[in-house]
Amino acid sequence: MEVRNRIVGFLLILPAFLILALLYVYPLIRAIWMSFIKDGFLSLANYAKAFDIYSRDILYSVVITSVTVGFVLVLSILLASYLRFKEWRFLDIMYRLPLFIPFLIVGHAMRIFLAPHGTLNSLLTRILKVEELPGFSRSWIGLLWTFVWVMTPYAALIILGAFRALDSSYIEAARNLGASKGKIVFTVIIPMCKPSIMVAAILTFVRTISSLTILVMIGPNTPNMITVDMMFRINFFNDWGVANALGVISYLIVIVLAVYYLRFMAAERGGIKG
Amino acid sequence: MRFSIWRITLKVIFVVFMLLIMIGPLVGIVIWSFARVWYWPSPIPQEFTLRYWLEVFRQGRVLNSLMLSVTIALLTVVFSITLAIPAAYGFARYKLPFERVLLLLFLMPQTFPQLPVFINLASIFGRMGLRGNIWGIILAHTMASLVFSLWIITATFKSIPVELEHVAQNLGASRFKTFWTVTFPLAIPGIIAGAIYVFLWSMGEFTAAFFIGAPFIQTAPVLMYTSSMGYNLQIASVIAIILVIPSLIFMVLIERFLKAEYIAGLGG
Repeated sequence: MEVRNRIVGFLLILPAFLILALLYVYPLIRAIWMSFIKDGFLSLANYAKAFDIYSRDILYSVVITSVTVGFVLVLSILLASYLRFKEWRFLDIMYRLPLFIPFLIVGHAMRIFLAPHGTLNSLLTRILKVEELPGFSRSWIGLLWTFVWVMTPYAALIILGAFRALDSSYIEAARNLGASKGKIVFTVIIPMCKPSIMVAAILTFVRTISSLTILVMIGPNTPNMITVDMMFRINFFNDWGVANALGVISYLIVIVLAVYYLRFMAAERGGIKG
Repeated sequence: MRFSIWRITLKVIFVVFMLLIMIGPLVGIVIWSFARVWYWPSPIPQEFTLRYWLEVFRQGRVLNSLMLSVTIALLTVVFSITLAIPAAYGFARYKLPFERVLLLLFLMPQTFPQLPVFINLASIFGRMGLRGNIWGIILAHTMASLVFSLWIITATFKSIPVELEHVAQNLGASRFKTFWTVTFPLAIPGIIAGAIYVFLWSMGEFTAAFFIGAPFIQTAPVLMYTSSMGYNLQIASVIAIILVIPSLIFMVLIERFLKAEYIAGLGG
């Protein structure tokens, strides 16, 4: 009975498993394999070239992504703390607005909004009574702004979920001992919700560093992030070796975070307890 | 709470600030979609036109790309949900062999950058004649959306008390009949939420559609990209608005039924 049960379970998963094995695992292994092939031979030449041309871009990707994660965490913890204690429907809807908007559209909207002669400057120049203001699109500021805009609701949703799931009795206890709200957040809520905050940080990091569409819409022409370099390598040079080497480098950048995340999720059996 | 003029002023400033930074970018694309002539520093376009909106209803590349995207998204939903339902039931109710490995495999696509997989898939499909073919895009979208439709539906099955199934089985129903008459009907809301989510994701997906669809297939996001790069901001804005409206409605209606961890895929 036990064995039969396991076989039935496996058969139920088999079709989905096959799709993932053929269309995800196989291309993944191929990406790693191809990154070591140069002119039909095994070599590290692709990596040498990738670091030679793109080491600045690799560093830039990591820095922009880390700064994004920093901003997103601060904002989403602030939002979650506020909404944990107080209902405010306006804020609740506003912060979630970007949640399901495709990145490409966010990039396009921000490009129009933040351009030198864009919607934002059109308004600001009137209020401030000045002739011209610099635009932020095609600069790292616009890029950072867009990433933070689009990533914060998602991180806040995860963190607020954890904050709300927290047993109120801990908070009541701290409050009865005379702790202020700020102190409760820092000494009780944040330490207890650390795993969820880590998950939010990791997913923000991965989504930011693997984003291509926002960059092609609003990113600076140079320096670029690795995803854009991969696209150029393929579209303009037909150079799959270096593109795949860059892909593997992006895997190596996230691997420590990914392992933490996978262990956390697997421990919860896919994030659903019980 | 004490009445205070400062408090109210601060609140008003905050509300205006939020409206500006959250709604502002969306207002920009709405205005652009009607603009015929718009020179700096005029706050609104000098001339308005409905021309670009009419292209949505007239035979042409905008309508074609939208229809293509809807077709791809609908087929993706069918494949993705059909594969996800049995797998989700397996994860929710059965003890599996190599359970940890399977779990890791199905969580992995969320945790690693997708781009290397998509470009290699494009290259593999190229040799199979699936590049520049809508079936190539549908296969890629099915694979990528499977990961989140699976977890949304697994969560739904887990939320249904297993005792209900035991009751049906004690009354003599087979395992399949139990699933079909008890569990499945109860899971329909979750399955619909998953389906809508997959549909919206597929409609807005750019990367796979761009690399695998090249050079013949232009889905709505790909047309939006080429229009925007060619400074045809009106066409790009019209497509952007059409793609954004269902996302906003979905955000208000469905978000609270979904667990945040499973929707990592959206956006691309």
